[in-house]
Amino acid sequence: MITISDLTKRYGKTAVVDDFNLSIAEGESVALWGPNGAGKTTVVRCLLGLVSYEGTITVNGADARSSGKTVRSQMGYVPQELSFYDDMRVVDLLDYSAALRRIGPDRVDEVTETVGLTPHTSKKVRELSGGLKQRLGIASALLPDPPILLLDEPTSNLDARARDQAIGILEGLRHEGRTLVVTSHHIEEVGMLVDRVVAMEEGRITVECDPTDLAEQLGLRAWLHLILENGSAAKALDVLQVGGFEAKRNSRGVLVEVSAQGKGEAIAALQHAGITIEDLEVWR
Amino acid sequence: MTASPAEVQVTVSERPELRLIAAVAKKEIADAVRSKWFWLWAGAFAVLAAILASSALPGSQVAGFGSFGRTAASLVALAQIIIPLMGLTLGAYSLAGQRETGALRFLLSHPISRTEAFWGTYIGLATALFATVFGGFGVAGVIAAAQGGGADAASFVRIAILSWLLAIAMLGIGLLISTFTASGSSAIGTSIFVWLGLVFLGDLGVMGTAVATKMPVSALFISAVFNPVEAFRLAALTAFDGSLDVLGPAGQYAVDSFGESLDVLLIAVVAVWVVAPVSVAWWRFSKGGDV
Amino acid sequence: MTRVGVLVAVVAVVMTLVVVATATASASTQTPLQPLIDAAAPGSTLVLEAGEYEGGVTVDKPLTITSTGGAIVDGHDVNSVFTITAPDVTIDNLTIRNSGDSLDREDSGVTSVDVPRVTVSNNVLENVLFGIFLRTAPDSLVVGNSVGSKDVETARKGDGIRLWECEGTVVDNNTVNGGRDLVFWFTDRIVVTNNTVTDGRYGLHFMYSDDARIEGNNLSDNSVGAFLMYSRRTHLAGNIMANNNGPSGYGIGLKDMDDVMIEHNRFIANRVGVYFDNSPWSVDSKGWIENNLFAYNRTGMLFQPSVSRNEISMNTFIDNTEQVGTTGSGNFQGNDWSVDGVGNYWSDFAGYDADSDGIGDIAYYGQDLYNSITDKHPELVFFQETPAAKAISLAAQMFPVLRPKPIFQDDNPLVERPVLTPLSTSASGTSARELVAVSFLMLAVGVVAVAFPSRRRRTANPTEVGP
Repeated sequence: MITISDLTKRYGKTAVVDDFNLSIAEGESVALWGPNGAGKTTVVRCLLGLVSYEGTITVNGADARSSGKTVRSQMGYVPQELSFYDDMRVVDLLDYSAALRRIGPDRVDEVTETVGLTPHTSKKVRELSGGLKQRLGIASALLPDPPILLLDEPTSNLDARARDQAIGILEGLRHEGRTLVVTSHHIEEVGMLVDRVVAMEEGRITVECDPTDLAEQLGLRAWLHLILENGSAAKALDVLQVGGFEAKRNSRGVLVEVSAQGKGEAIAALQHAGITIEDLEVWR
Repeated sequence: MTASPAEVQVTVSERPELRLIAAVAKKEIADAVRSKWFWLWAGAFAVLAAILASSALPGSQVAGFGSFGRTAASLVALAQIIIPLMGLTLGAYSLAGQRETGALRFLLSHPISRTEAFWGTYIGLATALFATVFGGFGVAGVIAAAQGGGADAASFVRIAILSWLLAIAMLGIGLLISTFTASGSSAIGTSIFVWLGLVFLGDLGVMGTAVATKMPVSALFISAVFNPVEAFRLAALTAFDGSLDVLGPAGQYAVDSFGESLDVLLIAVVAVWVVAPVSVAWWRFSKGGDV
Repeated sequence: MTRVGVLVAVVAVVMTLVVVATATASASTQTPLQPLIDAAAPGSTLVLEAGEYEGGVTVDKPLTITSTGGAIVDGHDVNSVFTITAPDVTIDNLTIRNSGDSLDREDSGVTSVDVPRVTVSNNVLENVLFGIFLRTAPDSLVVGNSVGSKDVETARKGDGIRLWECEGTVVDNNTVNGGRDLVFWFTDRIVVTNNTVTDGRYGLHFMYSDDARIEGNNLSDNSVGAFLMYSRRTHLAGNIMANNNGPSGYGIGLKDMDDVMIEHNRFIANRVGVYFDNSPWSVDSKGWIENNLFAYNRTGMLFQPSVSRNEISMNTFIDNTEQVGTTGSGNFQGNDWSVDGVGNYWSDFAGYDADSDGIGDIAYYGQDLYNSITDKHPELVFFQETPAAKAISLAAQMFPVLRPKPIFQDDNPLVERPVLTPLSTSASGTSARELVAVSFLMLAVGVVAVAFPSRRRRTANPTEVGP
């Protein structure tokens, strides 16, 4: 469905996307994952024709450079944050987006209902919370009922509850059979959404794999900060070190290094030893 | 949502579509009407024009002579200052400001071409300027008439139309500035600098050069008239005075050498400024640079 | 008039009527006028019926030629239409048209040769080279005529009214459009009142004509309103000079004029309101310019720098681009800008009047940087009224170091604008209505242009959303 060949984007001499190749099948859901500046947002912008690039992008056989309108008509784009059109009402913004796609107001109402914005249609964009703005972005992208959705950091600016709701909406969209391209640097948030993770660093693909294999592939480690019952820290250190974990004291608790997918093992080991964990944090 | 993705295939033409241009234009107009800048400009222009119109001597007091010629002359001077500032800043801020907030990316993520987005923006802003200029002149005209200024209504309309042409010429230059600058604030800064150049420094430069080099009046006229603001002023003066010979030797030179075609020449200069900068801006914007 | 005279006149009228009746009966041809004049008794009145008459006639006896209306005398584009060679001739209430076009022969609508007391009244003169040209005709009357001109290039035009040695003549209530001048040579004690002269070269042109009284005339849209030369004791009052914008473009030009009195006139939107060229000329003469309005002229008053001995007071100067200017940069002095402690009103006077006596407490200085530059570099007049020109003047006001030497000072400027008596106007009412209509239309079009596209497509009411 989407074929990206030899994509390179330079700003001056620096290549932010460097010889990038990727094919995405119809109905497939792909995450572009990497730290800030890895080039994942730039790939999305290339898909939308927002920036000039070297290489070729085709969507359903149409060239993104020469047939940009055709390509974009199949894609809905959810920007990272709707920080514009502040003075527009929600319904006016959606009407405008619909007018740009020759879509009638009935569909606007339908989409508003789908993402749960119906009670907020008269509000101005600036009055919306981050979560509602995100839903507005999704609503706008869904107007044409597009086969492809591009989501730029869909969860990054949301609080936990809004993030859950957004992920819920996106899961629904995935199950409708749409092709999803999601950029994120929180892989565990979008991991459950996608069939494939494409990890990027400095404009290049480092790893391409199933989301569950990602941590393994990358050898990802995290630090688990465990707050323990008073007086049990020394015992916990012993237990962990015996269990083969890298662990050290940290004020009221211990820090233990774990693999990104294996946090439960350390906790299970402590519980097995009868140590009560009062609280925990993940440090990266 | 019941439609499966495969069912939806909107037919899209890669060629420019009027309805898309119209949709963007409508949005720009609605934005303008909502924005405080629009009302500030329109209000300032209308109030200043009204003050000028009402401070002129009542026509009946000076007997048979509508003091309107004078009102019109002051209006032209006012238009010379305000309208370029209005057009330049509006144009410069539009694309640059939208680029800064991400609105432009959002717009262009739709199945709309750069050409459609550009001309839609231009038409919308040009319409907003039309409302500002005609609203301001309308207010001034009503007040001038209430003062008993017997005016030639036709030349009044001509001056209003010329003012609008100046406004959209400046809008074009503003949009061109917009394609060069990354942020809204630097676009505004650049446009104010260009405004100073067109409205003050250009004329002052020609004056200084004329005094320093004793340039012939022909050279003075030609070098002045390249400036769109000057071409507008001269065209507006011809519109209500009928002749430029009131402007001393250089004006006399213009009348003598160009005669009947002087009007055509001046309008042509304004027209070139209306068309050229915006076309270059369009070319720069539509060739697909990063937004 | 004797009883016999009356009888003769009546007979002449009856005969005329008979002749006219037969002439109109023979259809399209024009009635020859000369035989009717030849047949008329001296001192009688010849009344022409409506119809066309052949002009090119000579009136060689005292005679009144008039009509009951609608009589047209046609000169067939040859010579003058009427030539008067006897005193006490009256040409009245006729349409006189189609003189020849020879400037050498001075072809005219009505001309007279060395005879006194000619009356030319209430005629309409069309397509004539000169309109009314009286030579050595003292004590004549030129009243109520409407004079047009030939549609030829300016250099080949004749004068609407031209008087040569016609002292004591009254020129009143004429309307002259499109000719060269209304010119008076060697014509002392002439009275020129209530005339309207438009689209000509010089509205009035005086040469060596002393003691003239010029009142209530409207001299507009000419190259020059009135050019007065080599004359003495001319009195101009209550005239309007507007839009005289020719290459010289003076409301009034004064050349070697002694003891001229200019008062209660209005100079509006001329290139120059009054131009002083060597006036007054004689060392023992003066000039008085009082109670006039100078508004919206390029230059209110323009002086040759050597001009002196004028008394200029109680005038109103409103928004002239240059209120007072000089040609070149000579030493300009010796004119009085206030008389008996009363000066003039200047719209750009920025002083104050703490003692509320109506007189400003500081002097008004004629010093504008842009104007002082244009006095030396007239080509820069091109930029008058531009923001750049205003910036130059403003800069000089803010920074004294940039201020030019004042060209004059009015020590007692008036702080209140003198009241102007409104003059009745006929035309401005309709054009003001037109302007109101057009302005409202513009306003409406402007509002609709943005209101229509920006209207909300629908109200965002959740209850409208279907299930």
